[in-house]
Amino acid sequence: MSESFVSLKNLTLAYGDTVAVSQLSLNIRKGELITLLGPSGCGKTTTMRAIAGLLSPRSGSIEIDGTDVTKVPANKRGVGLVFQSYALFPHLSTFENVAFGLRLRKVSNGEIKKRVEQSLDTVELGELANRKPSELSGGQQQRLSLARSLVLEPKVMLLDEPLSNLDARLRLDMRSELQRLQRNSGITMVFVTHDQGEALALADRVVLMKDGLIEQMGTPTELYNHPSTVFAADFMGFENIFEVREGALIGRDGSKISGYNAPSGSLAWRPGVVSLGSGPFHGTVAGVSFAGEMWEYVITSPLGRITASTPAGNPPYPIGATLAFDLPEQFGHQIKGAG
Amino acid sequence: MLALPAVLFTATLFLLPVLVLLSEGFRVDDAWSLQGYADFISKPLNQTVFFRTLKLGFLVAGVSAVIGYATAFSIFHLPSKHRGRIFGLVVLPLMISPVARTYAWIVILGRTGIVNDAIVGLGLSDTPIRLLFTETAVFLGLLQLFMPLMIISLISAMENLPNDAVAAARVLGANWLQVFLKVILPLTKEGLVIGGTLVFTGSLTAYITPAILGGAKVLMLETLLYQRVNVANDFVSAGIIATILITMSFGSNLLFKRIATART
Amino acid sequence: MGKWTTFLIIGLTLTFLIGPFFIIIAAGLSAGENLAFPPEGLSLKWYWAVFEVESFRESFALSMFLAVFGTLSALVLGVPAAYALSRYRLPFAETVKTIVAAPIIVPGIIVGLGLLRYLVIPLNFTVSMALFMAHTALVIPYAVRVVTASLENLRSDMEEAAILLGCTRFGAFVKVVLPNIRGGVLAAFILGFVTSFNQVPVSLFLSGPGVRTLPIDMLAYMEITYDPSVAALSALLAIMSVGIIFLAEKFLGFSRYV
Repeated sequence: MSESFVSLKNLTLAYGDTVAVSQLSLNIRKGELITLLGPSGCGKTTTMRAIAGLLSPRSGSIEIDGTDVTKVPANKRGVGLVFQSYALFPHLSTFENVAFGLRLRKVSNGEIKKRVEQSLDTVELGELANRKPSELSGGQQQRLSLARSLVLEPKVMLLDEPLSNLDARLRLDMRSELQRLQRNSGITMVFVTHDQGEALALADRVVLMKDGLIEQMGTPTELYNHPSTVFAADFMGFENIFEVREGALIGRDGSKISGYNAPSGSLAWRPGVVSLGSGPFHGTVAGVSFAGEMWEYVITSPLGRITASTPAGNPPYPIGATLAFDLPEQFGHQIKGAG
Repeated sequence: MLALPAVLFTATLFLLPVLVLLSEGFRVDDAWSLQGYADFISKPLNQTVFFRTLKLGFLVAGVSAVIGYATAFSIFHLPSKHRGRIFGLVVLPLMISPVARTYAWIVILGRTGIVNDAIVGLGLSDTPIRLLFTETAVFLGLLQLFMPLMIISLISAMENLPNDAVAAARVLGANWLQVFLKVILPLTKEGLVIGGTLVFTGSLTAYITPAILGGAKVLMLETLLYQRVNVANDFVSAGIIATILITMSFGSNLLFKRIATART
Repeated sequence: MGKWTTFLIIGLTLTFLIGPFFIIIAAGLSAGENLAFPPEGLSLKWYWAVFEVESFRESFALSMFLAVFGTLSALVLGVPAAYALSRYRLPFAETVKTIVAAPIIVPGIIVGLGLLRYLVIPLNFTVSMALFMAHTALVIPYAVRVVTASLENLRSDMEEAAILLGCTRFGAFVKVVLPNIRGGVLAAFILGFVTSFNQVPVSLFLSGPGVRTLPIDMLAYMEITYDPSVAALSALLAIMSVGIIFLAEKFLGFSRYV
């Protein structure tokens, strides 16, 4: 990719003897919003800390804007980071928190006042300039933390699970707020999260990580509709995944159900496409719960545990009921390799 | 790297001289020998002082535990706004010069002190009786000096009690005695052990109290050490006493750690 | 447990712990020549007399000097150590902790004697120098403990944030860490000051002609006289400590740190 703005090459990162990320390569375009997605321990935060310069790589290199910054210390990299805890300075006012980096750069007082006020206005904290961080709400602290980094106009902005300490409602607001900021400023952002919905909603591109390696990379729609591995499919909500071998579906109990023509690998179904009421399989309803627009079922069957859903208009099957169901091949998503 | 100056400073100034001093106990006439220990142990005075020190240590720790427990438990049951203040009063003596604290007992127990005034005034005795320079005086002095440590340990253990443990036990039908025996006591055992160790080692290694209230009549290990050096220039005995003191205070610290971590 | 039992137990214990101070204050107020309680008439003369004693004035000055500068040096050594212990995974962290804590565990009298015999005499140190070093070492454990506790309460990502905004590590420490552990450092100073000022065993052997700390001087003085001046001085010291702690508690919430 010629237009790459941030480029990680064969990056290996370790804490002591524990290798957290191995041989990772990734190119990020200018102005792109990338999310690093994955379960805890997958290496996403470690990768981010390496880009920030808080962790030196064991091997490999990091380039930003055409310059190799692998050996450049964190305070000279021009990278902004919003911490999960916000890491605001409790002894300084809102204004001084934002002014902190500008003062280090020996910017004149008049200029500082102008830029801090402007940036506080952008995040709608202009009125609260004299408050201490402890007097701000969670959402306000979050925005202050953003303003503190943005005022320095960093080349790259890193965000470490920045929304995880907010309540559900605020999280949605902040999501769109972040998107707006990013679109307006055109800043390159790397957003770390373990929340699949957040990653898909925000990103231009999603990098799904597992065990220190990139599992799959692509646009949100690519990842959502075409996960290429069992892990990715599972992460993207294909909750029923079964191996297919020699024209037969392999149940968890080892049973072989013929009639599937897919090439060897796996087939995956979202709960919505499992059809209940008829079909070649039988199971027992172990749980049913109301989820607004649908009923969600957990069904135990000889194949294994199946999750399914039906529109809420229909009366639900009661717990303990035996029912027939089908995993129609045409709705199954094909994955190479077994789970 | 940052910790190095502090470590080097402490090691050269504190540990090195102390280790050399300890080694003196094993040297007699410029040769390595255990003769010093044999001589030391064979002297009845040394034996008396050793066992007296040990006895007072246990006694002070034991009595502190009983009185301290009752006090801590009472303070713990005060409304929280009073609790802080009373707790402050318990801690306060720790910040005051031990010399000043101990000297008060001279006023109380001296020949013209408050206790003797009472004894003579009530006609229990015609002449003042000797209360100073007795084991009782040293015991009282040590108890006053170190009991706050016990109370502090116990109160912090009680404050760490799971919030609803007592309430849960009450709801399950336990009376106060049962709550105390089955819930509070087992859960504050650690505080008792920590407090006990602090009071015990404090008493073992106290100098001021036996020096002022015991004098030459009631020697303890530290005052004996001072006397051996100042009066007799006897560094073999000094090394031996130092070894005993350090062994006992490190030993009880280790023991406490084991007891504290043994709970599952 | 009944309300009155509670009050009674607390009352008795506090009387035992604190009562003697009132007795000693009163004993110092005596108008007579001998130590007695109740005092023989009331007067402030012994309280004034304390200030007339030359050796008390000298030893007070020495104790003050040791307490202030010994504690400051202990902080200079102890704060970096505390920082290292709480921020880095040191290879021998436990050993470092044990060595730094040793001055609390090793009985002071042994330390004093060891210093005198193997450092002061062979290396020709002055007694004041040895006292200064011993008091510094004595306070290090308190400095390290109190400052470490403050540091552990301060999230380390705050320093990383400062670094990413352009600070050096040292700059981040000065601009972000220090302002936020100010209370802890001040509390460590007060605790160290009080500990050093009241310290006896370490200084016991480290005394020379004209070089005595105040508590040692008091011990010597009470062996030769039986007048109420030592009681008066003890009372003054107690009042001074109470005053310091009261102010520290009021402005700092001192007890949080100890």
